[in-house]
Amino acid sequence: MMQSDQGSLEDRLRDIQSVTDAALSQLSDQEMLAELLERTRLVLHADTAAVLLLDAPSGQLIATAAAGLEEEVRQGVRVPVGRGFAGRIAAEGKPVILDHVDHTTVLNPILWAKGIRTLMGVPLIAGTHVIGVLHVGSLTPREFTTEDVELLQLAADKAAGAVQSLTGLEDKIAAIALQRSLLPSALPVTAGAQIAARYVAGEGSVGGDWYDVFTLPSGELGVVMGDVTGSGLAAAVIMGRMRSALRAYAMESDDPAVVLARLDAKMQHFEPGALATVSYAVFSPGLDTMRICLAGHYPPVIAPPDQPGALAEIPPGLLIGAAPDADRRVVTITVSPGTLLCFYTDGLVERRRVPIEDRLALLCRAVRAVPPETACATVMADLVGADQPRDDIALVALRRKPTDREP
Amino acid sequence: MSAHDYLIEWRGPRAVVRMPAEIDVTNADQARAALVAATGQRPAVLIIDMSETTFCDSAGVAAIVISYRQAAGAGTRFRLVTTKVERILQLTGIAELMPIDASLDAALAATEG
Repeated sequence: MMQSDQGSLEDRLRDIQSVTDAALSQLSDQEMLAELLERTRLVLHADTAAVLLLDAPSGQLIATAAAGLEEEVRQGVRVPVGRGFAGRIAAEGKPVILDHVDHTTVLNPILWAKGIRTLMGVPLIAGTHVIGVLHVGSLTPREFTTEDVELLQLAADKAAGAVQSLTGLEDKIAAIALQRSLLPSALPVTAGAQIAARYVAGEGSVGGDWYDVFTLPSGELGVVMGDVTGSGLAAAVIMGRMRSALRAYAMESDDPAVVLARLDAKMQHFEPGALATVSYAVFSPGLDTMRICLAGHYPPVIAPPDQPGALAEIPPGLLIGAAPDADRRVVTITVSPGTLLCFYTDGLVERRRVPIEDRLALLCRAVRAVPPETACATVMADLVGADQPRDDIALVALRRKPTDREP
Repeated sequence: MSAHDYLIEWRGPRAVVRMPAEIDVTNADQARAALVAATGQRPAVLIIDMSETTFCDSAGVAAIVISYRQAAGAGTRFRLVTTKVERILQLTGIAELMPIDASLDAALAATEG
């Protein structure tokens, strides 16, 4: 194999051909992106290649496709524009080469944990807008040349084209769009609370998972985690209706049991075939207590400072849609300063043939009273790793700030 | 996973449906269909026998709940036999829909007469 920085003009042209090949366009956009990343990695003799796409409402880059770095996508890595390596490329709209990879220069711990020594990244540009970032990494220290940067930019332009046409047509795409539109684009900023979240679609299709975090007129904070049985557009549509209905009932009652009972009655009347699990928690304005009601949903993991995580002791309740007039019970849980709560859907903890007790124990070990972004990253790393999850996964970590005076 | 025969075993007016060793998204539809078929015969009691079931996920739970819901109004009482997957049935509230027994004998004894 020819070193790209020493290759002849002919080799160079072959490399360019490899990433701009018209035959690539015969593939579906998703396959094309995957193949393009693999080719880019090969021609640049890099160990990893990844595309992060800009989610404009949240101002975050979300890992979308990868070669040699699949865990970045599986764990739903997010990087704020303007911060870290990828964030800087998106903010400046120009290439960046980094030959010093550690926690001071790169936000995403997967990159430095994997042992990447050198990174090179370029923006994905559509018209005049940055829509994402393409980067390659090397496990050995190396110098990327100007030609390497140009080649990577060619690949990025090709990728930008594929990404732009990745909209609209199929049910799957519609479901993804619906799902995205219904997940909070920005989590509420609440004094006393730190919040982070992840959503990762399952194999083949999005499902009916959702999370919602909102402030109520009383100043209380509502946190919803739900999962509609089934997948695809049908489940996503029902999920949308449940989400809206729950928000409406949350405005009418501060009692989570009343809210879920009304939601259940509404679903059984208007969506008689639907089945869903829901967890609904209401936090007091200072976050010192949580009132929570479960409808067939796994209980959250609670981790007070310097203590291991444990499943919160909450009486189970029936799934939404299972039977009329189910008994709905609320418990009030004290949340001491610095305590972290982790809400999740079954896709995070259920794995074929692994007893649920074992997976819940693994989750409890992963959850610690740390900043929520760190908690989300650790939980996704420990429970998902580089697996392709079959089911979709939603995760919300919420922490009461360690002291009232901390900014 | 080899195919599982869902036989309805009658003990008087009580129907027993034995569930497979593992129930997940790959076979939950068959489990649901078998339970719905059993409830369609209007037994006084339907015993879901999960004594050989070592793994059940949310898809399996949904199958049980759907069959229960479809039988609503027909007067069939449900019981469930398990020791190995009791945790998920407790967590998802199924245990509130139907009594859980540790053995088929216990379920039968509880529904004598």
